[in-house]
Amino acid sequence: MSIGVGLYSLPMEVIFELVSCKLTNRAVPSELFSPSVVFWSVRLPRAIMALLVGAVLALAGTVFQGVFRNPLVSPDILGVSAGAGFGAGLAIILVGRSALAVQSMAFIFGLAAVVAAYQIGRRSRSDSVTVLVLAGVIVTAIFTAGLSFLKYVADPYEQLPAIVFWTMGGFSDIVWKDVYWTLPVFIAGTAVLFFLRWRLDLLSLGDEEALTLGVDVKKMRVLYISASTLIVASSISTCGTIGWVGLVMPHMARLIVGPNHQFLISFASVLGAIFMLIIDTLARTISSGEIPISIMTSVIGAPFLAYLLLRQEESNF
Amino acid sequence: MGGSDFYFYSLFVDIKFTFIKYETISITVHISKEMMKKTISNLPLQVKGVNFSYGKKNVLRNITFSVPHASICGLLGPNGSGKTTLLGCISGIKKLESGSIFLHGKAVQMMTRKEIAREVSVVPQQTGFIFPFKVLDMVLMGKAPVKEIWETPSLADREEALGVLERLGIRELSGRTFQQISGGEKQMVLIARSLLQNTDIMLLDEPTSHLDMKNQILILDLIKKVSYENRITVLMTLHDPNLALHYCDQIILLKNGQIMSQGNTSEVMQSQKLSNVYGIEVELGITSKGTRVVVPSCWR
Repeated sequence: MSIGVGLYSLPMEVIFELVSCKLTNRAVPSELFSPSVVFWSVRLPRAIMALLVGAVLALAGTVFQGVFRNPLVSPDILGVSAGAGFGAGLAIILVGRSALAVQSMAFIFGLAAVVAAYQIGRRSRSDSVTVLVLAGVIVTAIFTAGLSFLKYVADPYEQLPAIVFWTMGGFSDIVWKDVYWTLPVFIAGTAVLFFLRWRLDLLSLGDEEALTLGVDVKKMRVLYISASTLIVASSISTCGTIGWVGLVMPHMARLIVGPNHQFLISFASVLGAIFMLIIDTLARTISSGEIPISIMTSVIGAPFLAYLLLRQEESNF
Repeated sequence: MGGSDFYFYSLFVDIKFTFIKYETISITVHISKEMMKKTISNLPLQVKGVNFSYGKKNVLRNITFSVPHASICGLLGPNGSGKTTLLGCISGIKKLESGSIFLHGKAVQMMTRKEIAREVSVVPQQTGFIFPFKVLDMVLMGKAPVKEIWETPSLADREEALGVLERLGIRELSGRTFQQISGGEKQMVLIARSLLQNTDIMLLDEPTSHLDMKNQILILDLIKKVSYENRITVLMTLHDPNLALHYCDQIILLKNGQIMSQGNTSEVMQSQKLSNVYGIEVELGITSKGTRVVVPSCWR
């Protein structure tokens, strides 16, 4: 349905016809030539990317909340998005828009950001969950300033528009090449997190308790954070910064299936995928122009964080 | 000194000693090995010359003791005497400054996290849960040491966990959320998790703190029962000397990170020794029904 709606409407029967042509290797009828291009080259890769990105952001958010034992964190709140955005920007200025360079730099700086936020939070004397959120704010501020500096020095005709793209986030330029580049990374990161999902329950009890249950806490934490940061960085280097999904979706999923990560991981990913597809469809259909997707997610996510903060006073999530 | 070093060192001493006595090395080696095997298997937990500091503060000083198989040993001492730190050292969470701890003859320092967790389970004072896990999920976490990192609990594990809850008489709690149950029930669930971990040694940190009198008795009766039935060696910190007097076979008295006295409960629980450790005059008396009690002298 998401594929059908939009400025150029594709009725369901047209979509079925196009798919059956592809499956049976028939030539596309001439009157369906334009819909064919819209469907295969624009809508389908875009919808697939939206599903994938929604799934990995929700997944990474769930993992971060478990690893940091903190229901208020997500990759964007801990500065991963800002760090990865900065890394992607730096890669564009230094080596141009090479997918490998952009993804690698996004990953390295995303990882640096989360390590920095974690260290600041850990060294703080207060043990409150909000301290880690504040540490994330500090790291985000530093990398946002860095990104602004990159924009300042960037070539205004070539590099600047490409960098600005990240700060907005969106799926409008997605082509099959982007899907091919990100899919292996998404699969690798997701597979690691999926197979290690049960240990998240143990880690969320705290270091000492997890240690007495035989968990190698340091090794596991490195694995979880690296795999999550990898998929988030890959998503950011392709679709830009899309905030709040990683924070909101795990909570929604937890309300439905409970906190056991065995089930939560998969459910949050599915929920994130559906949510992102709906948001992207809305972003390109509710007005004649296209609304940047991060605006849409912020409108939903920011009030949700306020709600969580207020509720924190009453319960332990 | 690792576990095997200790073994061979003791063996060597034994050989020398028996050589002088019997003058035949071949027989004495045989006897010594058997003796050593027996000694090691009889002592699930041995602590030798352990020192531990937080920065410049010596928290544990030259701690040496051992706990016999399937006995209940109480660690008593004032606040800050190092009881909880000692439990942390035994479970391998805290790195020793010097000394050794042996679990069935194997040095903790040489063991992986999983290996330690297969020997020792820990019932914490309170668990650090953030998310509202179900009781059954909490108990199932006790299976982690025998699972590969990618494995999740199987249906058989769930049945086993339900069986443990059934044995403790709290099966009906399995579907409840951990944070919704009472303090006594939480403690029982953590003991159930420890039982599912299926270790020979169980460490408990203040199992009766925050509990009312009835629940204190309930929990300690339960610990005594599982220790007896499962042949588990228990080491627990306690604040109340009366509970220690009634439930422990062995007592270790700690003060300022040093062992002031250790041995059978009746030997250690004497007014002079307790008064020294707690810094308050105490007396031991017997109630009209013959129960031994510890009371502060100032109550007279």
